Amino acid sequence: MDHREEIRKYLRELLLQKGDKQPFADDTSLLLGGRLASVDAVEIVVFLEEKFGVNFSDIGFDQTLIDSVDAIDSLIQTVKK
Amino acid sequence: MNAPTDAAAAIPPAAWPQRLANFRIIPRIETYPAVTKLAQTVIGKLLILALFILGLRFATEDWIPVSLGLVAITFVPVRRRILLTIATLLVTFGVPWAKFPHPLYTSALIGFVIGIAALLFWLAVALPRSFFGRHPVLILLSGYSLLIVVAVYFPNDTHWYLTVWDFTAMFGAYLWFIAYSLLDRRAPDRDDFSLQVGTYRPFWGSPTVPFVKGAGYLRRIEARDADQLAVTQLKGLKLLAWSMLIALFSKYFTQFVYGFLAIPTFREAFLQSVRRTPYPWYTCWASLITGFLGDILAISIVGHRIVACVRMAGFNALRNTYRPLSSRTIAEFWNRYYFYFKELLVDFFFYPVFLNYFKANKKVRIAAATLAAAGFGNAFYHYIFYLSYISELGLWRSLLAYHVYIFYCAVLAIAICMSQLRKRGPAPTGFFRGHVVPVFCVALFYCLLNIFDYTERTYPITEHFRFLARLFNLNP
Repeated sequence: MDHREEIRKYLRELLLQKGDKQPFADDTSLLLGGRLASVDAVEIVVFLEEKFGVNFSDIGFDQTLIDSVDAIDSLIQTVKK
Repeated sequence: MNAPTDAAAAIPPAAWPQRLANFRIIPRIETYPAVTKLAQTVIGKLLILALFILGLRFATEDWIPVSLGLVAITFVPVRRRILLTIATLLVTFGVPWAKFPHPLYTSALIGFVIGIAALLFWLAVALPRSFFGRHPVLILLSGYSLLIVVAVYFPNDTHWYLTVWDFTAMFGAYLWFIAYSLLDRRAPDRDDFSLQVGTYRPFWGSPTVPFVKGAGYLRRIEARDADQLAVTQLKGLKLLAWSMLIALFSKYFTQFVYGFLAIPTFREAFLQSVRRTPYPWYTCWASLITGFLGDILAISIVGHRIVACVRMAGFNALRNTYRPLSSRTIAEFWNRYYFYFKELLVDFFFYPVFLNYFKANKKVRIAAATLAAAGFGNAFYHYIFYLSYISELGLWRSLLAYHVYIFYCAVLAIAICMSQLRKRGPAPTGFFRGHVVPVFCVALFYCLLNIFDYTERTYPITEHFRFLARLFNLNP
């Protein structure tokens, strides 16, 4: 499973836990769009730290960095470089 | 790449509670293609603006400058951000001449504060590796706390004394707006200060809590094309209408409750308890519940009006208050009741702790960050907000007299913490056990906690506990 698919799967599960069964596209704004809350942002941060080794205290944190599948994928690519 | 996921399983036919929840008093006009198409024409824009300004005329006394700003932004959307700055600066420096006794003095203070903000922003951007560049918000908040200490100990027999306090109050009014600018310093698409300043107490009106956050958030929620602008403006128009409907309901609710039913206000009931002539326990409950509902109505009216203006300006901002009484957890209510205040605490207190400390243990990490935000951050925000108590009582006595609100913050933080960390089993099914019971318990918790939501420094916490006991008829 590639990064992007893993992210999609994780976000899908997070939304389903909240009872949100609506589909989302890779560029759908989930946090700033209101479908996920700050509490969920925390879950995403932990997921990215554990799964991809992202260290937000090094790069600085902004909710927009984890707002969508595209944003998260772009963040992972940047960290890898 | 942008294909929808297959997360949407077949949704079963909606049950009647779901249908009830989906019912809308104001129809979703932004989803009607004919309406959104009309909203993109000059006639449509004029019609939406006219309706919006008509509503604003009844919703706020400052409707003229807000309307002028919205008209300019609606017809020149490509210059939206710079027009936001111009409108904000015109209102900022125009209001003192219309409302304050010493407009030149007030304008000079505002100018001085904005000048300091510009300097701080420039330093944070220019020196990213310096201590200030790495921790600008920490230094800003520490510096402001130091400024308060200086003001408290400033000799009060000099003519500079009042100026020092005026400056402290003015800086406090801009503090969190400047903090959001500093938070934006690392963004790759960061705005110049000329655009940042447009978010400092924007022309659409904002309390000390920044509505809506800062430049970084505005960039993300800005309408990108005519279609998005039409949808956003229609949502703004709807929200203003909703705000006015709630205001109308609130008016009759107040008349009915405090007039026809003659229920005392929460404050009256509390004062009677302090005087040892309390109302009957059931009247105290009625006062507490109606006061709690009144607070929700009041915050909804103001928040909806401001967010409606933000949307009319082309920024698709989230509502400040969104169905708080449908929350099934304490954390959810906190998120839904006063969204932009919660965001402020999350941005400036939760994330700094969460991202830097206790990384080895997720639960400890969440607990520490929640206590930092809902506990310390909440108490800190309100302590520095009420400067009059600090100037009157001094630092230590004003802090001691603040113990009721500190208790409130501590209980709130612990409750949110437990709400977030509680291991959830399968959600109870059925409308009553799955919806009514959790919603009732959450509302009851916040209703009771409201007894301690008290930032005045008049009565000790024992009086608040006395009122709480009275609710259960424990101190007749």
